[in-house]
Amino acid sequence: MFQKPQTFQIFHMCRKKTFSAALALLFFYLLLALFAPWAAPYDPTEINGNPCRAPDSEHLLGTNDFGQDIFSRLLWGSRATLLFGFLGTFISTGLGTGLGVLTGYLGGRTDRFISGCMDVLMSIPQLPLLLVLSIYLKPGLYLICIFMGLLGSLQQARIIRAKALSVSTENFVYAAKALGLSDFHIMGRYILPSVFPLTLVKFLFGAQHYMLLGVGLSFLGIGDPKLVDWGQMLHQAYSAGGFALGMWNWIFPPCFAMIGLSLSLSLLGYSLEPWLSPQLRHEGKSFSPLF
Amino acid sequence: MRAGDKKSYVLKRLFSGLLAFFLSLTLSFLLLRSLPGDYMTDLLLEVGRYAPPELVAAFKHEVGLDLPLPEQFLLYLIGILKGNWGHSFEYGLPVFTLIREKLYWTLILLLPSTFISLILGIGLGACSGWKNGSKTDALLLHFLVFVRAVPSYCWGFAGIFIFSFQLSLLPPGGYASLPGTENPSLFRHALLPGLTLAFGALPGTYYLMRNSMLKTLGEDYILAARARGFSELRILFGHALPNSLLPVLTQASLHCAHILAGSVFIETVFSWPGLGLLTFNALEAHDLPLLQGIFLIDTLLVITANLTADLLYPLIDPRIREGLN
Repeated sequence: MFQKPQTFQIFHMCRKKTFSAALALLFFYLLLALFAPWAAPYDPTEINGNPCRAPDSEHLLGTNDFGQDIFSRLLWGSRATLLFGFLGTFISTGLGTGLGVLTGYLGGRTDRFISGCMDVLMSIPQLPLLLVLSIYLKPGLYLICIFMGLLGSLQQARIIRAKALSVSTENFVYAAKALGLSDFHIMGRYILPSVFPLTLVKFLFGAQHYMLLGVGLSFLGIGDPKLVDWGQMLHQAYSAGGFALGMWNWIFPPCFAMIGLSLSLSLLGYSLEPWLSPQLRHEGKSFSPLF
Repeated sequence: MRAGDKKSYVLKRLFSGLLAFFLSLTLSFLLLRSLPGDYMTDLLLEVGRYAPPELVAAFKHEVGLDLPLPEQFLLYLIGILKGNWGHSFEYGLPVFTLIREKLYWTLILLLPSTFISLILGIGLGACSGWKNGSKTDALLLHFLVFVRAVPSYCWGFAGIFIFSFQLSLLPPGGYASLPGTENPSLFRHALLPGLTLAFGALPGTYYLMRNSMLKTLGEDYILAARARGFSELRILFGHALPNSLLPVLTQASLHCAHILAGSVFIETVFSWPGLGLLTFNALEAHDLPLLQGIFLIDTLLVITANLTADLLYPLIDPRIREGLN
């Protein structure tokens, strides 16, 4: 409204550059994860050097307290870490979009019932619930992703529902109803495409969120201890007293790798936002946060 | 929102909060019962094999294990209300006592950092939203996108690295130095974890405030104030700021829950003896009753914070207060 047009233009351009840079970074991570077996110099779980070695030409990032090569573990760890993010967000956005479209479009008693249930479930703090469940079920990677996704879908459903609700009062939906199209047809062909941009952006932010959450859970020592991921590396460094010993080559590599991935995903999300929802572009309201 | 709506809204929230707590209780009861084996097989692993079956049955009767499941659940609920939250496997103490002791330490950290991050987040968010599109806005926004992308425990690592290892200014963890110097050092020990906790929660408040400010600036009464020729400062402090603060303050409870979740990581990193570190230890030791107790207390805290925000809302917003009277 009270914008200076010139600054906004620069701002806009910058975001496009951000988009391409973020995408390139994400591809880099995906490639690393894909080619980890060839790129890694050592087996990540084998002992192949003296323990606690400082970084040198033989072990690029040194070795941990068992004598495993940290650089190889970092490369292999990107696989589980990416899986946390993308599987988690796939489940949560998929389920959330389905539920949101259903409740937002149908309205009435179905909506009130499902939304009421979701309100109650959302008052339960998620992280402690995840921790309790994880102790009972001793979950592996996939089960953790499913848990995270299921719990996270509540929030997604609420956001998608609000969007679907506003779309449902548009004229084209009334026209479709007047034509006598079935509810499922309208939801699939009219409502779903309208909420899709939002879903895509939520998917990217979700990938960041679940990646960090999954790594955080492994940092707390949850999940399969044999699995190599960045959180587990941090957990091992922490348990072995990496702080007291000042072993920063145990701690910083997984941290920086995680920060890079997290940044690329969130920048991708932010830069897609105005492109996908035209009302943001017109009003010049940059970066509406969606979480 | 009309007064009646607001009242029924608060009642609805109260109801849903209670229902959520009940659900958490049910869940932890069912999970405990669904574990393989029961208290008897565990307790009487050595003794039970030689004990006569009548004695085992008598013991089961004494403990209440022969009751039907719904009745056991009722007893469990009454126990929870009376403060009987079970015994920790690892510490051998009542869960409730343990949690009460640790909660004190968590709150020492939690309350100041919630306060700091709220104030800072509101200030920065308001500044950013007010100057939308400017260089200040872009700089703040990019900085906070970065802060948010880095998990809080990484900020903790960075803090320890810089302030404890490189500059040797602050202790890297714990809550007190050696005996004799205990009192003055509590603040120094709490400084780094507290600030990390606040820093990690900052982006949430910032985004909310910035968005709320942007929305308020688009309202007609801001345009009207400009048309009447009010000074920019008066528009900011008299019109824009009070109105854009409302949604942020109502979300303060969510904020609190967020910080509580973050404290698990921060307390672990800094070895702060609060609920978070207790959670970490319980996870390491697979201490189920303790973990359930922590889960329940977290649920209670979050629900209480939610309700407080709902009840505070009319106090802050005069439109709703007048509606109530």
